[in-house]
Amino acid sequence: MERATILPAEEQRVTDMQSIAQHRDQAALARLFDHYVPRVRSFCLAAQPGANIMADDIAQEVMIRIWNKAHTYKPESASLNTWVFTLARNARIDYLRKNSRHQSDIDPEYLWRNVVDENADPFKDAQQKRDQERIQQGLDKLPSDQKQVLAKVYLEGKTHKEAAEELSLPLGTIKSRVRLALHKLTIYVKR
Amino acid sequence: MIHYHPSIETLTDYAAGSLPLAHSLCVSTHVEHCQECQQQIRKLEMLGSHLFDQAGTHSRQLNHLKDRFFTQLEEHTLEENDIEKHAQEPNSNHWGDYNIPSSLRQFITKSYDDLTWLRLSPSFKIATLYNEEGGAQIALTRVKAGAHMPTHTHTGNEITLVLEGAFSDESGVYRQGDFINRDASHKHKPIVTKDAECICLTVLDAPIEFTGWFARLLNPIIRRYHPYSRA
Ligand SMILES: [Zn+2]
Repeated sequence: MERATILPAEEQRVTDMQSIAQHRDQAALARLFDHYVPRVRSFCLAAQPGANIMADDIAQEVMIRIWNKAHTYKPESASLNTWVFTLARNARIDYLRKNSRHQSDIDPEYLWRNVVDENADPFKDAQQKRDQERIQQGLDKLPSDQKQVLAKVYLEGKTHKEAAEELSLPLGTIKSRVRLALHKLTIYVKR
Repeated sequence: MIHYHPSIETLTDYAAGSLPLAHSLCVSTHVEHCQECQQQIRKLEMLGSHLFDQAGTHSRQLNHLKDRFFTQLEEHTLEENDIEKHAQEPNSNHWGDYNIPSSLRQFITKSYDDLTWLRLSPSFKIATLYNEEGGAQIALTRVKAGAHMPTHTHTGNEITLVLEGAFSDESGVYRQGDFINRDASHKHKPIVTKDAECICLTVLDAPIEFTGWFARLLNPIIRRYHPYSRA
């Protein structure tokens, strides 16, 4: 069964989300804090090495959103990790656009809101877990050059073009590494 | 039926959050119409979550941060009502004949008609939504049914997203939701289909240069509306 592949710790975190939504359970929030805050901080420091204050601010913002939006999280439509990743991603974008030299008024809240909460059904639920598993297992087997580019794009917040400049490689090489990786993870099926 | 999608690179940068916001705005608007890209992004976000999970954890002591967070938690707690209000905001936005995509509602609070349109010819209007400082120009273009859009080349990358109606050029026909990315080398002559007017979202990384006779008159106007030319 699909369910069996979910780690108990992850199940516990989903239960914690429910306790937060239903009972405003601060102990549950504290457990999520211990798990996610170090990850959100690393995620921020990957983009801005040494920016500890920024990392703390964003981590706090993510925890506030977990606290206030726990009731909107639907386990059938996305794993908790994916949900928190999207919160962290959006909070990081929001912080950078407000604090960088070239500020932007484009509010990221409007740009990603609908992507994750699709109408969930049991079929999609099973599908979602299969995809999840395939990606996780595939990721461990990726060659390091492919993984390196994915890390630049996802964790360091670089575009393909910026990744190419930084690694002194042609843009085409970067693109094909990412495509190869996405193929192996069965994320990208050519249309 | 949507035929033109963002490239897999663009979708990956979007899901990762590394795509410039102006471009993300176009992807987001496309995705509202496109199930296929929604699925793709869902998977790309899953990948992001695994990389995020494995990102490693710095060993810094977080007790101080945690104490501060929990002492201030009350202040950050939204009342039930606030949450409800917030959640309902985006739904109540149907004015006039057209549905405004939710990604654009931060700039268009009422209807397309209520924007400030600058008439560049009897059949061609443009409304600036936002000029990013040192960045992209985000605008809507509105062209009458059957009309030619002025021939132009770009000095930078241009993304066009069809919001209403349809247009065609040498390479194809573009309909609602289609996402068209053109680089500086491209020179095209779009024509709007005869049945309806065409409204497009356009994002320019640098000002476009019109190359036609009448466009030469327009160039100073376009420049005036682009951030780079104010300097
Ligand atoms: Zn699409």
